[in-house]
Parts: sequence; C-alpha cells; structure tokens
Amino acid sequence: MTAVAFSWTIWIFAACAMAMTLRLVIGPTTVDRLTTLAAVSAIVLAILTVSGAVGARPAFLDVALVYDIFGFLGILAIATYTRAARPGAPPEGPR
Amino acid sequence: MSQVADAINLARDLAGVALCAVAAVFAVAGTLGMLLQKDPYTRLQASSLVGTTAAFSVLLAALVTAPSAAIAARVVVIIAFFLISNPTTTHIIAKYAWNSGITPRATPRDGKPETPEAGDDDD
Repeated sequence: MTAVAFSWTIWIFAACAMAMTLRLVIGPTTVDRLTTLAAVSAIVLAILTVSGAVGARPAFLDVALVYDIFGFLGILAIATYTRAARPGAPPEGPR
Repeated sequence: MSQVADAINLARDLAGVALCAVAAVFAVAGTLGMLLQKDPYTRLQASSLVGTTAAFSVLLAALVTAPSAAIAARVVVIIAFFLISNPTTTHIIAKYAWNSGITPRATPRDGKPETPEAGDDDD
C-alpha cells in the first residue's frame, strides 16, 4: 500500500518539477529562476529521500542530505554574486 | 502481542498514505501558483509552499514508514536541516528581489488605493 502511494507521489513530484521548468524558461526576472531552482531542489530532495526509505537504501539518504546542503549553498552563491555583479542596482529598498 | 504489532504497522501505513496525499495536493497547488501568478513575490510564496509543505509532508511519510532505525535517524537529520535551510532560502530570494528593485503589486481589497500616496500614478 505504501509502495504504491510513494510511487504515485514520486511521479506527481516529477511532473510538478517538469512543469516548473516552464517557469524557469519564461521567467521574466532572475528571481523567478532562483524560485524555480529552490522548488526543484526541494522536490529532488523529497524524491531522493523517498527512494532511499522505500528501497531501504541508506546511501540515498546520505546523498539527499549532501544535495540539500549544496542546493542551499548554490542558491546563496547565485544570489550573492549576481547581485554584486550588477552595476546599477540600488543598495537597499525598492526603486 | 502480534495483533498490537499489526495494528501499529497498519497505522504507520495509513499515516504514510495520508501524508503522501497531502504532499501531492500541495505540490500540484504550488506548481499551479508558480505558473499562474503574476507577481514574483507571490510566485516565491507558491515555491515556498511546494518546498515546505509538500516536501516536508513526504519527508514525514518517509519517517513514519521507515523500515529501520538507521533510515529513520537519517530522515530526522534531513528534516532538521531542511527546516532550517528552506525558509532561509526563501528569505534570501525575497531579500534579493527587494534589493533588485522589484516592487510588490499592492492591490487593495476594494480596488481603490487606500491612501493618496499609494496610488500616485492614477487620477
């Protein structure tokens, strides 16, 4: 019973990640692309964890933890360096 | 004794299936919100919905149906780090958007601006 539920959940999550890729392509701003990256990172983490828990493979869970850490650091690095590289951005507050 | 163990296993399975259903519903809702909303901040909120609610529900489902203690302990560590990192990621992106000069689309409930300063460009 749980195997069927986890299988359906994995396929629904994969479909959601593929639909979010559309927002990654058409996103007007960098914020939308960062948003999509965060959401897809969370979905991939969930899929890895469920695969490890259902198949009783603890190595998947170690990979999932490291993936989560590097996803967080990646978004942090992108947000930091693209903001530093923009020439005309205001330092604080909206325009 | 065996009946107690069977009842506990049935309860774990039912909780896992219910959490998977919650995760699927919130994942679809968050994806629709990310594709249909018009404001970057609103899309960020939909993304946070996918991350926090859907992924957290499915991580809890993996925790309650974990086959061994080693897997359950690893899932607990993943949940702890995920609950720290995902709101922090959303905050970083929101701060990035605010510093990039993106203003939120502020629409009052009655369609009229609340103060004369808020609706400076009409009338």
